[in-house]
Amino acid sequence: MLRTKQKVSHISFLLLLAILLAILPGCWSKKELNELAIVMAMGIDYDESDYEVSIQVMKSSEIGKSEGRAAGGAPVITYKTVGKTIPEALQRMLSVAPRVPYLSHVRVLIFGESLARSGVSDALDFLSRNQQLRTDFFMLVSKGGKAAEILDVVTSFENIPANSLYSSILLSEKKWAVTSRVTLQQFITQMERQGSNPVLPGVQVVGNKEKGESPDNKKRVVPITLLKHVGLAVFNRDRLVGWLGEPLSKSTNYALNEVNTTSGYIEGPEGGIVGFEVRRTKSDIKVKLGEDNIPEFTVKMTMETDLNSVQSTVDLQKSDTVEWINRKIEQKVDNYVTRDLRIIQEKYGTDVFGFGEALHRKYPKLWKKLRNHWDEQFKQCKITVKSKVAVRRIGSIVQPVKREMKEQ
Amino acid sequence: MNQVEHSGWEHEHIHSERTQFVEVLKHRLGDSPDIIYRDIAYRNNTVLIVYVEGMSDPKSLIDGMLENLDAADSSGEESPEQAYERLKKQGITMGRVRDTDHYTELISALLAGGSIIFVEGHSICLLVGTESLKQRGVEEASSQSVVRGPREGFTESLRNNTALVRRRIQSPMVRIEQRRLGEQTRTNIAIMYMEGMADKDVLNELRTRLDQAQLSSVLESSYIEEMIQDRRYSPFPTIFNSERPDVIASAILEGRVAILMEGTPFVLIVPSLFVQAFQSSEDYYQRADFASLVRLLRYFCFVLALLTPSFYIAITTFHQEMIPTNLLISLIGQREGVPFPAFVEALIMEITFEILREAGIRLPKSIGQSVSIVGTLVIGQAAVDAGLVSAAMVIVVAITAIANFALPAFNLGISVRMLRFLLMAIAASFGLYGIMISLITIALHLCSLQSLGVPYMSSLAPLKRNSQKDTLLRLSQRMVKKHFREN
Repeated sequence: MLRTKQKVSHISFLLLLAILLAILPGCWSKKELNELAIVMAMGIDYDESDYEVSIQVMKSSEIGKSEGRAAGGAPVITYKTVGKTIPEALQRMLSVAPRVPYLSHVRVLIFGESLARSGVSDALDFLSRNQQLRTDFFMLVSKGGKAAEILDVVTSFENIPANSLYSSILLSEKKWAVTSRVTLQQFITQMERQGSNPVLPGVQVVGNKEKGESPDNKKRVVPITLLKHVGLAVFNRDRLVGWLGEPLSKSTNYALNEVNTTSGYIEGPEGGIVGFEVRRTKSDIKVKLGEDNIPEFTVKMTMETDLNSVQSTVDLQKSDTVEWINRKIEQKVDNYVTRDLRIIQEKYGTDVFGFGEALHRKYPKLWKKLRNHWDEQFKQCKITVKSKVAVRRIGSIVQPVKREMKEQ
Repeated sequence: MNQVEHSGWEHEHIHSERTQFVEVLKHRLGDSPDIIYRDIAYRNNTVLIVYVEGMSDPKSLIDGMLENLDAADSSGEESPEQAYERLKKQGITMGRVRDTDHYTELISALLAGGSIIFVEGHSICLLVGTESLKQRGVEEASSQSVVRGPREGFTESLRNNTALVRRRIQSPMVRIEQRRLGEQTRTNIAIMYMEGMADKDVLNELRTRLDQAQLSSVLESSYIEEMIQDRRYSPFPTIFNSERPDVIASAILEGRVAILMEGTPFVLIVPSLFVQAFQSSEDYYQRADFASLVRLLRYFCFVLALLTPSFYIAITTFHQEMIPTNLLISLIGQREGVPFPAFVEALIMEITFEILREAGIRLPKSIGQSVSIVGTLVIGQAAVDAGLVSAAMVIVVAITAIANFALPAFNLGISVRMLRFLLMAIAASFGLYGIMISLITIALHLCSLQSLGVPYMSSLAPLKRNSQKDTLLRLSQRMVKKHFREN
């Protein structure tokens, strides 16, 4: 009996402990889902000496319910505040927002162009210091405008504009080769590492900015306002130094080995145009030392392509023709990429391709001498592009329709 | 009753006078109408037959006696002793016959369904085994049904149950030890095992525990289970039960000991291990590959049944960053307007479900269905429509409940149900951290448990590699060797 009594008191003591444990520390970090303002996108602008932070917050009452129950309002709200620091601005957000901004689910982060031009390193400090932020969001620069403008546009396909931006970055990076997706981690590595500089994809509002803020924008077949990806922003360290247009962006991505699929065309042997689709590419930077120990770089690329549109009368039954097309594509790629890389090299003088990094790996001793004035040195380096192209498939038909038509 | 007044009736030795004999019996048993005193003239002697109506069937006994009376040569008078001897040797066709001269023994035999033959003038009685309890026939085991496999289930009769097992193991090594338990109920219980297979230590331990068990009544095998289990304060069952003879037979063949009892179809198995709770008898009647997959599914269901609600609570109140963004968007939309914290929401739904389940068990089958309709439609759909709970929570509770039912061992399911609520509370205050700590605690507790001295987590912790052929998976018969006796 004595033993059981002891046991009972033992157990009740443990129970008491458990209850106290539950009550005393309580649930201090607890936050119910409907107490949070889930920030889907964040924009950072620089306004004189203050940060202007805008956040796109999911409006949960408009989302996740069946169509009939939603009030038909905008699916997100954009709040804007200013502060000396970004966290201060976020704190000030509570003066207008009824819920605490929750940053873990930020999908895209947009820098205004003026901030990007004056340097993003202070903003990056907050972004990487903050515990809530994951590092897998995509970063963008708002071309020629403020970041807040991008967050104001209502998109048609996805309810939440941030999601729309996120998935369009994912897709265009894969299929188009003009944009790229850059996460915080990548950006900081490329920025801090000597011998490379970061790029960021740009985005722009096309159309009427005022009308794009209303949900009416998504009720139309032809939206009044759209968000458009516009090439890459070139950085020198943390400062934006210039913009690359479509061809330059594409060439940059080729050199960076970031191209998945894209399409192009060449002139046919007998006139007309042969369109091809790049299916698989791989690029590699080779370093060689030239005269006076000036490094020379060769970008070696291998590409697999499919013909996707033959607007010509070439005879595709001959293997010579296919071989000819291979050579022709190689020529075109070599010429264009070399030209574009030279433009970037001369105009911006910033090594966004990681040539310095490649040099560092191959000739570490030489790198030590060059690294402190690499940007100037980079301008003088010779860059060549050598590609190897193979047409793998020519599609479901063999001869071009134009040729078949002529023969009859 | 005044002891002094009736001191004569406390007399232990049987009287030879009929009136005295009957008087003692009536005093001890009360004048119950179901105890029949039947006099039969047997030549010159009077024979009294006493039995309890409904529990024994003395018809064939009396028939046999009278037939013998006719057949025997009517050669004059006999002394009571002679009559008694002749009755015993020639007049009774029953198998079990016993002499007694003690009232206590006589009465317990009478109450167990035997008939008493008392010859006037003789102070020894004959106990005849005429037990014939009206009993349920062998029916399908309702609590553990199988698609393929024997349909028979145990009944409430001990003898019948031992026979059902013996019929499956016709080995001379099967042993049955019988004893009575319960001061009032004097219930027959039997332990059944294979000589040479069952562990000596386990058997001895079981015998001592049964000897030490002090029970005034034993109405179901759970009474015994409670008395002989190793740890009283554990949510986990260390003694499993079954109402299927094939399960018990296989347990006995594995070297376990079965405890059968008069009055219940549920037979206990000792020692019982944790992994046993995931083994269904059907595993062995299906293809091995399929059975292995199903068994893995059951382990998964165990985890689901234990953790789903607490995991949901922890993730949605503490670790929102872990939810994929698109899922979060959908969850947050559902939770919009729900007036309770996630924990209270889960508690409401879980308790509602427990109420429905409890109500469903007690109700007649025809009404049970309407309860489930009310439960699913009204509570589920309406609560979501009214915005009291979120749709995701209904899914969580539903999957938890279904997973719970997928466990073959009902009593392990009960432990899971209890622990689930505890885990929910811990998840609501500590998040995933709390869940991890609780799981570690549960694992430690499980490892500390024993069943009749055998470690409860045997063959998993400590891990025995060659014993893994029938734990998480069921490998084919060829690969499985009997390994139970390693312990």
